Amino acid sequence: MSDHDNTHRPAISLREVVKTFPGAAQPAVSGLSLDVAAGHLVALVGPSGCGKTTTLKMINRLIEPTEGTIEVLGADQRALAAHELRRQIGYVIQQVGLFPHHTIRRNIGAVPELLGWDKHRIAERCAELVELVGLDPDVLGRYPSELSGGQQQRVGVARALAADPPILLMDEPYSAVDPIVRTRLQDELLTLQARVRKTIVFVTHDIDEALKLADRVAVLNVGGVLEQYADPAELLAVPANEFVAEFLGRERGLRRLALVRAADVALVDGPIVERSATAADARAAAAHHGSDWFGVIDTAGALLGWADVAALDGAASVADVDLEAFVATVTPTTPLREVLDVIITSRPRAAAVVDDGRYVGLVTVEQVAGGLQ
Amino acid sequence: MTLIAADRDSFVWWGWIADRPDEIWQRTVEHVQMTLVAVAVGLAISSVLALLAVRYRWTYTPITWVGSVLYTIPSLALFAVLIPITGLGFLTAQIALVSYTILVLVRSIVTGIDGVPPDAREAADAMGYSAGRRLLRVELPLAVPAIVTGIRIASVTVVGLVTVTALIGNGGYGAFIDDGLNRRFSTPIVLGATLSVALASLIDVALYALERALTPWRRRAVRSG
Repeated sequence: MSDHDNTHRPAISLREVVKTFPGAAQPAVSGLSLDVAAGHLVALVGPSGCGKTTTLKMINRLIEPTEGTIEVLGADQRALAAHELRRQIGYVIQQVGLFPHHTIRRNIGAVPELLGWDKHRIAERCAELVELVGLDPDVLGRYPSELSGGQQQRVGVARALAADPPILLMDEPYSAVDPIVRTRLQDELLTLQARVRKTIVFVTHDIDEALKLADRVAVLNVGGVLEQYADPAELLAVPANEFVAEFLGRERGLRRLALVRAADVALVDGPIVERSATAADARAAAAHHGSDWFGVIDTAGALLGWADVAALDGAASVADVDLEAFVATVTPTTPLREVLDVIITSRPRAAAVVDDGRYVGLVTVEQVAGGLQ
Repeated sequence: MTLIAADRDSFVWWGWIADRPDEIWQRTVEHVQMTLVAVAVGLAISSVLALLAVRYRWTYTPITWVGSVLYTIPSLALFAVLIPITGLGFLTAQIALVSYTILVLVRSIVTGIDGVPPDAREAADAMGYSAGRRLLRVELPLAVPAIVTGIRIASVTVVGLVTVTALIGNGGYGAFIDDGLNRRFSTPIVLGATLSVALASLIDVALYALERALTPWRRRAVRSG
């Protein structure tokens, strides 16, 4: 089977999976079917009791399904002994679960050691992983208790990646660290994922985290009922039902802004003139756009600054006017949420989109609203 | 009466002690042997029982119940029961000594394994550790502090009890005490008791040092940042 075929085949496939715990009246997961494409990061979100962690643990058989089948990398998960299946699946949990009595080096090297790698190869891999997750190589000789929560969580990710498993399962990995560290770890995961392209199943109760990290989001309801499975933009634009809409929260529109980029909206030219333009040209440009200010670019298209129309009084040319620096600039890839923030905090009530030093166009609140249509 | 004196009417007759270096050494060897055998056998039996209790939780209550009964039987009563069966001597003494270690050791091993952080256990399972490997590489090493604490208590208890087994002819420091009681002579009683306390303290300190050597991860300070 070629790599090409792999990308078209789900790395993980759940079919009609049911889990009823002994003594429980209701199933924790009932009839869940879900495909996770290879190389995708899929977030499982939902309120407590929705079976998201149970679902995750069924993938590596920490919990055995009552009914249904789960295929991992194209084969029934029961084809292998549980411990062999698990060695192909990295696992990261909220409490990290590092071995307190082993140094970071031995913690990271745990699975390679199980797989019988030689010492030299394990040491090399540890050094590589420590760098990959952004830790100082000095930590390798320390014990987990000597590390901060954020560092421990990075070690947890390094350990999960140690034997280069194709699949990573992450169970609320960032909910125990403070918000600043959490944001950084999320950003690092995105950077890491761009490099390693693992198939990741990520459990979280934080819808913002899911929307930020996931290629696709599975919204689960109590009892493991799949309410919607879609990419973040679609989820926000077209929630399947009341439950999903409510789970996404009142600020659904604002959350969508985080997923649309400046380049995705129709930009306007704006009241922009060249440095050599006359005062009359500048007035005309401002009037045309109904604004009381105008921007100035040079012949190469670089944004020089802006001035009030009133500053043109007594000036013959735009070149005579003192300009104020244009701080309200964004790039084509800036999310609309940030663009909006720039707009409402800038005096011109607009954000200039600058691509590689060149002025591209202007975004106002109207364009932002238009971008969500 | 003075404590330091040179004749046999005083509380401690130093000259009598100074004349017997060989006998003191021999009694020390006997006492240490009795203690080591009892603790080692006790640890072996307790390990099996503790692992049984960890694996099949329902067995824990009956195991500790039996352990408690053994622990509460007075040693003299136990000798009375055992002597007709196993005779006067080493085996009878060891049965009594080992019995006293079971409760403490089983409890300390089970407590130690129960105290392993559940997330470390879950991580081991999720990484593909087999149950045996998880026990040897994760659970037992993390249970070391509790287990060593149990061994310390058991050892100190056994060192004290070995002096009683001299009554059924097993030597050790108890032989001095027995001799002193028979002859109404205080010097060997004081000698036996003092050496017994000293040995118990020495073993306790040595085991504490062993525990520290086995658990370097517990000593490093927690840093932040």
